[in-house]
Amino acid sequence: MPAVLRKAAFFAILLLFWQGACSLQFCPDYLLPAPWQVVASLAQGWREGTLLYGLLISLKRMGIGFGLAVLLGGALGLLVGRSGPLAQAGRSLLMGLQSFPSICWFPFAIILLGLQEGAIIFVAVMGAVFSAAIATRDGIGNLPRNLTGAALTLGARGWRLYTAVKLPAALPGIITGLKQSWSFTWRSLMGGELLFGNLGLGHLLMQARDLGDMPRVLGVMLTILLVGMIIEQGLFARLERAVQRRWGLESN
Amino acid sequence: MERVLSAEASSAAYPAPLRTGEAPGQAAEGRRPWRSVVGRQGKAEAPEKLALRGIVKSFPHRRGRLVALEEINLSVREGEFICLVGPSGCGKSTLLRLIAGLEKPDAGEISINGQAVDGPGAERAMVFQENALFPWLTVLGNVEFGLAMQGMGKRVRRARAMEYLAMVHLAPFAHHYVHELSGGMRQLAAIARALAVNPAVLLMDEPFASLDAQIREMLNAELLRLWAETGKTVLFVTHSVQEAVRLADRVVVMTYRPGRIRAIIELDLPRPREEGDPGVVRTRLAIGRHLREEVTRALQEERNHAGRT
Repeated sequence: MPAVLRKAAFFAILLLFWQGACSLQFCPDYLLPAPWQVVASLAQGWREGTLLYGLLISLKRMGIGFGLAVLLGGALGLLVGRSGPLAQAGRSLLMGLQSFPSICWFPFAIILLGLQEGAIIFVAVMGAVFSAAIATRDGIGNLPRNLTGAALTLGARGWRLYTAVKLPAALPGIITGLKQSWSFTWRSLMGGELLFGNLGLGHLLMQARDLGDMPRVLGVMLTILLVGMIIEQGLFARLERAVQRRWGLESN
Repeated sequence: MERVLSAEASSAAYPAPLRTGEAPGQAAEGRRPWRSVVGRQGKAEAPEKLALRGIVKSFPHRRGRLVALEEINLSVREGEFICLVGPSGCGKSTLLRLIAGLEKPDAGEISINGQAVDGPGAERAMVFQENALFPWLTVLGNVEFGLAMQGMGKRVRRARAMEYLAMVHLAPFAHHYVHELSGGMRQLAAIARALAVNPAVLLMDEPFASLDAQIREMLNAELLRLWAETGKTVLFVTHSVQEAVRLADRVVVMTYRPGRIRAIIELDLPRPREEGDPGVVRTRLAIGRHLREEVTRALQEERNHAGRT
């Protein structure tokens, strides 16, 4: 059976279980709505335009947040990738900050930037910037010694050693790291939107909770899940594979 | 082991076999186009290209320092093909990395054309054993790389890279990626890439060590042809006596820890050197004897060391 069919069968079985649980009426349908109720709620949200609007707002924030995190994280990673005691201290701080829950930056961001768009994006950036920095540093730090040796003895110098050799050489590793950074951005952003509902999917989720509208809660949750799966598996995994193939790293 | 076997001592010990062989230029003119070039007359009088004076290098090791190289002095003439052999751990690769400028010596001076060198540069291009081609570039892109670093324009460098690819017979693979090539072809591409920047000295660190014997033999012949065509000065590290005898004008045998020059053996044998040729056999045996003593010593020291810890 091809992989696509196997996946489809798996999800179909999952749906069946869900429907089965509803049909047996373990609990009332305002606590456990049937699949078709969730789909109907999603369709309604789609017709009203709220779902699409929320989705677009969240995607925009995610794009800005992730873009900034990659730029800042990349620069930070290059900085702490250098040798010397300062860079070493920087690395240990980076490791610490990576495990720091990004949503805890929210109060800081609100005081600093005000209760608005900027604060939410700030939290999203903070969720990913350190892991992006670590991905860059690790990617560049673990290059085969001969690769940089060859570049140096062919006359590569200074910043061109980074742009022409180290970054491209490290790209497969960096992309794998960025895939993780992206999921951190997405999580942090949803956290921020839940706490401070100002449009976006997180806000829709909280609205649905206020209304006690379980089908809608589940519908928005499904949407968030789907966005994550599409971006991670449709975008990053593909990019990762393409780069690995091009770099000749494909493992069969 | 106090310099008992200096360069002079060794050639005195094995003078007869090593000085025999056809006189340069005398052999089979015209049959192989590069033959006449190989016996380059007057190489002994060629100007000094590379000079190593009093090179010392140590590395931090446990609580002390491990002396990898001690008092290395060597003068290489222009157009010479030098092979460095020695047991693993003798510092021959370290010596090459020092010349390349990838590491700094603790003491001593390295000069090219009389100018002291500091840091890596394209006038000492290096070919590594493996993992040194850029996998995100095509073969052509790899050969162009050094030229691009010199700021050469796209069209000019492309043409020049193609010339060098043609020289190693890889022109049909110009647009392939590195992982699409066999191991032997990769090393040829790496050689083309290094030659393209027109280095004063070509450094080669066991470039064929991970290839099987047949391919290695073929590439040895290719390398000799390229050497004759370009007239480059070559420093070639290998642990294979056979390979060294096939290639070198002079073979430098190094001692095991600390790495010193144990013997320098001149090979005045015409190329191509057939395996069974008496002069080749004698030379191989002579170098093998030096090397075996060093390998035995290396094993003993490692065993003693293992016994102590």
